[in-house]
Amino acid sequence: MNTKINKSYYGYIFIAPFFIGFLLIGLAPILYTFYLSLTKWDGFSDPVYVGAANYTRLIHDSFFFQTIGSTLIIWVMAIIPQILLALGLALILNERFIRGKHFFRAVFYFPHIVTPVTLGVLFSLMFDWQTGSINKVLMNIGLVDDPVNWFNNPWWSRIIVAGVICWQYFGFNLIIFIAGLQGISKEVYEAAEVDGATKPVIIRHIILPLLRPVMLFTFITSVIGGLQLFDAPLMLGDGPGNSTRTMIMYLYETAFKNFDYSYGSAIAYGIFIVVMFFTAITTLATRTKKE
Amino acid sequence: MKRKSWLPVSLALILILTLLSACGGNNNGNNASPSSSASASPSASEPSASPSASASSSESAAPSALSGKLVIWTFFDQVKDMAAKFMEKNPGVQVEVKMFPGDQYQTKLLTALQSGKDLPDIFDLERGYIGKFIDSKFLTDLSAMGGEDLVKDYVPYVQGLGRSADGKLKAISDHSSPGGFWYLKETAKKYLGTDDATEIGAMVSDWDKLVETGKKVYDQSGGKVHLIENAGDLFDIMAYNTEPWVKDGALNIDPKWKDTYAVQQKIRENNVDAKLEFMSAGWGTALNSGTVVLTSMPAWAGFMIDNKDDKAVGKFGVASTPLGFYTGGTYRGIYDKSPNKELAYEFIKYIASSEWQTYNLGKTGNMPGLATVYQDNMDSFKSSFFGDQNILKPYYDTVTKLPALSADKYGEEILSLWRKSAGQGITNKTDYDKVVASFKKEVKNAFPELKVD
Repeated sequence: MNTKINKSYYGYIFIAPFFIGFLLIGLAPILYTFYLSLTKWDGFSDPVYVGAANYTRLIHDSFFFQTIGSTLIIWVMAIIPQILLALGLALILNERFIRGKHFFRAVFYFPHIVTPVTLGVLFSLMFDWQTGSINKVLMNIGLVDDPVNWFNNPWWSRIIVAGVICWQYFGFNLIIFIAGLQGISKEVYEAAEVDGATKPVIIRHIILPLLRPVMLFTFITSVIGGLQLFDAPLMLGDGPGNSTRTMIMYLYETAFKNFDYSYGSAIAYGIFIVVMFFTAITTLATRTKKE
Repeated sequence: MKRKSWLPVSLALILILTLLSACGGNNNGNNASPSSSASASPSASEPSASPSASASSSESAAPSALSGKLVIWTFFDQVKDMAAKFMEKNPGVQVEVKMFPGDQYQTKLLTALQSGKDLPDIFDLERGYIGKFIDSKFLTDLSAMGGEDLVKDYVPYVQGLGRSADGKLKAISDHSSPGGFWYLKETAKKYLGTDDATEIGAMVSDWDKLVETGKKVYDQSGGKVHLIENAGDLFDIMAYNTEPWVKDGALNIDPKWKDTYAVQQKIRENNVDAKLEFMSAGWGTALNSGTVVLTSMPAWAGFMIDNKDDKAVGKFGVASTPLGFYTGGTYRGIYDKSPNKELAYEFIKYIASSEWQTYNLGKTGNMPGLATVYQDNMDSFKSSFFGDQNILKPYYDTVTKLPALSADKYGEEILSLWRKSAGQGITNKTDYDKVVASFKKEVKNAFPELKVD
């Protein structure tokens, strides 16, 4: 008994580097941010303690609530096609008869290695009102007479932002799904085929249920990623009436453009609560599925 | 048992030490001078040596020669040239230029200033955010060091922008950035009937004339060519011809903005503008291809001209805008706690001199900050894009008329909020009062300390 306790003591030393690093680089800024959120500080003079004033301001800040809504709308619009596309392509690319599947996997994964900022710039050029290639194509084939001002319409703006994110991440999810599909034992397929199950039946009753853990992984990572949407939308702007401004963009604009670090810190804690809330929902949803 | 136990402990220690040394290593990386030429100095660990006590370089010739080392932080590549020229003149001085391009610079600078470690002696501030820094404790009062003498012959607006709210000189620029309408002579001749800068200036001397001229260009070209790039250009022009956005702690919307908004709507309705965003890809193409006749440009933006194989030489002209304006500008201040203030001041003195500004005008075409340099070169200076035109003349007329306002921390940010609200309003043909209402809401949100009625 004693020796066992002694052994675990060394374990603590081994994990110590991470925790020391976390205390210095992770926890200290988190706590400092909380301290800042209780002050008024523009970065030039010394912080002045103001109590909960920043939080009171946050609760009444309609712009902040708008960014929560925008983030969720863009996230939903990005995640549904993203997962459907990734799943569909994974099922196809997992078939034995498909030639060149490695090539296609690489091609679909490619957008994921491009930085979101680059994609943002690329899409903003493509959808530019006057000079964008999309408008040029649409006018050439006669679908529209005048160029469409995509970024002047809240829904088109959101669709484009969601499109960028969908295009960037579906390849990543595709690889995850393929890994999941390959993890399903061949015996199960063979047994089903012997029993005369058709392809759609196999997909519905065998593949999808067995893929559930992988789907959950994808879902949870995209909840976390979706709530942190920042760089790609930033390149495409706030949108008309701030319709594509996400929570992190608002934090960035407040803290680093207006130099209102204290309110920016309060927003950061606000975002933390929102993320906690949605993580809790996701956890609950996961539980009910398991039962 | 005991013998075995030292192994995991020492392994863990190594891991911890590696982690800590990695953190420390980063810091060292930041401190270390990137220039290998510094190796001559024995005191490499301390980047800032006092100008008087420099042990090395006893062979440098000039009698009252300056010596020591300066560190400059900037976002702007041409500072390297400035440093090289200064070092050429003062061989005992070593100037190290650290460049941080883009938006990171502002944040990096502020973070460093707050931490008080690893700081430059001189740092650059861009017009867009100088207002936030100018009243801070980080900038040395140049007036107390004799700075007023350096700027006494300056263009009023240029020296005004470097002053804090209490009128002290805190930063100095080596250039002015007047704006004008740039045009391809060929296009102007085709659609305006002349390529003479004065005649073109007269055609657009006020907004009504500009709209009328714009209509003609649009009709004559069958809708393919527009007179100006964007109705939004008026934001830049009017920004320096209206009252400040904040007066006595309250938001102040100059009534001129209402008239400007009406003009902008008129411009858009009559297809006078090509609806291209400032500095966007399409904007640059139009400037070079001539699908837009007049482009409002700051004098420093010559890099936007496509001059491959000298094809743009002599092809452009510059005419004055209905009202004078400027865009951007880089200012330089001395860090208040720098141990090298005297030497840093010598550097500032150099860039404020007519020697440097004349050289810079010739080399880069950047307009001077000194009015005297304008006057001295008025009839002789030629720029390759503009052929025989004496471009200093229209720019001098513009800059000398601009009011000498000092920067404040709100101006540029509030202007960008106005640009956002009014810009959307122009596109959507929104009523002015609605635009103002949404603008006020944005201002109230960004700056709750301001009084907004």
